[in-house]
Amino acid sequence: MSGQPDLGRADLVQMLAELTAKPTDQVPDRLGSMELAWLVHLVEQRFDRRLDLTDDQVAGVRTVDDALTVFRASLTAPADG
Amino acid sequence: MDDILLAGRDSDVCLRLPDPVDRGTLRRLVGEAQARLTGAGLRAGGAAALRLPPSLAYVAHLLATWRTGAQAVLLDHRLTDHEVDRALRRLTPQVVVAPVRSGGGALRVFVDVDAGVTAYSDRPAGSPHAVIQLSSGSTGPSKVIGRTAADLVAEVRRYTEIDGVARPGERIILLPSMVHVLGLVGGLLYGLHAGVELCPPERLSGDAVLAAIAAQDTPATVLGVPFHIGLLASTVPAGPLPQFARMTTGGELVPAAVARAFTDRYGVPLGNMYGMTEVGVIGTDLYGRNRPAIAPAPGIRVREQDGELWVSCPANPYVGLADPTRWADGWLHTRDAGVVDPETGLVTIRGRLDSQVSVGGLKVDLTEVEATVAGLPGVTAAVVVWDDGISAYVQTDGATTEETLDHLIAERLAGFKRPRTLHLLDQLPRTTTGKLVRSAPALRDAAT
Repeated sequence: MSGQPDLGRADLVQMLAELTAKPTDQVPDRLGSMELAWLVHLVEQRFDRRLDLTDDQVAGVRTVDDALTVFRASLTAPADG
Repeated sequence: MDDILLAGRDSDVCLRLPDPVDRGTLRRLVGEAQARLTGAGLRAGGAAALRLPPSLAYVAHLLATWRTGAQAVLLDHRLTDHEVDRALRRLTPQVVVAPVRSGGGALRVFVDVDAGVTAYSDRPAGSPHAVIQLSSGSTGPSKVIGRTAADLVAEVRRYTEIDGVARPGERIILLPSMVHVLGLVGGLLYGLHAGVELCPPERLSGDAVLAAIAAQDTPATVLGVPFHIGLLASTVPAGPLPQFARMTTGGELVPAAVARAFTDRYGVPLGNMYGMTEVGVIGTDLYGRNRPAIAPAPGIRVREQDGELWVSCPANPYVGLADPTRWADGWLHTRDAGVVDPETGLVTIRGRLDSQVSVGGLKVDLTEVEATVAGLPGVTAAVVVWDDGISAYVQTDGATTEETLDHLIAERLAGFKRPRTLHLLDQLPRTTTGKLVRSAPALRDAAT
């Protein structure tokens, strides 16, 4: 069973808005390592579980959409790895 | 070096990764690294370029380079091959140290690395400095900043005289990169000198930082940049953390709301430090009593000259650059706007007077980014501005796509220097005399 986690693009944009103190419609689409670390941190808090991402997964994330894809994949993986 | 940084009993723990590394082990690793470096051609008076992420291998090879009597050229591991090749051609180290294997997963603060040493040139170091660091440069290529061994030792000693730093037997939860001045001197070198254990969290998350604090009973100071304050402010601790002594950040000003959220949650002092690659720590406010002002560090003089802060700096820190507008007569012209209170001596920084910005505590000169983007194939003109983030407005030949530009930029600029927003325009706005418009609102309008 692997239903889609309750995590959408708007959630990530809202999290980035908190970090950058910008309105959501002005949040840049591109992510640096700091923004990605912030998103991982908040997604982990929200789902109360650790996202065990690999270096390759992180290296491939350039945009909010990339991050969403990686997070969803990690959240639908078995929790105990 | 052995006396200043590696003295102490064999059994004294100096690093927790999280397994403890004692001084006996570190001395052995430094000896082994020294043999590899000299075996590859490093000699006293030469230079070793370290292109390593924060790791035990980095620490060992840095100390081994100094023990050899050589200069360490510190290259941030996030720099691209393009940036590194340019630096190596300019600095011609005798050897380059780089990872041959990295492990441990993503978002690691400290990385598990096996380092390889390769010969690069047979030239002596280009300057008598013990360490060379690169700073994003206003003229395009990076500025080369050198610091002598005596200058580094003086800074380490300066830390020992500052009230509010971690004391011998305590711990520093180390978050900033040890390639840059805060993590290097305020973390690594001070910790080794003073007998403070350096404890990087297992990875970059709020939970991991709290776990690192809780891992031992001794008082812990979290050293980071403002981003890390936000990380902790948004983490709910599982229980009381009596070991949490304080948090100290450098790199940029802390927004008042973030500082308040942090102190409301943890109730420990939130300190602030002001420093520059060229001179190290300049001033501190480690109890958060003077926010946003700082008091000059012991032995450091700060003065205001026509709205710019000047800092005492006995020797020119720039290698191959004699620019009296940056350093002259023992004073470093910081390009920071600021004021010095004539009665208290407290210094308030009011922002930059040039095109340098801070991204997560790392300095980026927008001129370097703009020169790189403007020099890409298919780009006819570019303007890069700070608009709560690095924004690039690019005029292309019409055939170049955003994806192509993204790819080209990623080859040439480290991630932290890359524009977060990229706007392709048929025509960049210009003034009536034909100059490119640099106002962020005007550029935003032109892009919509």
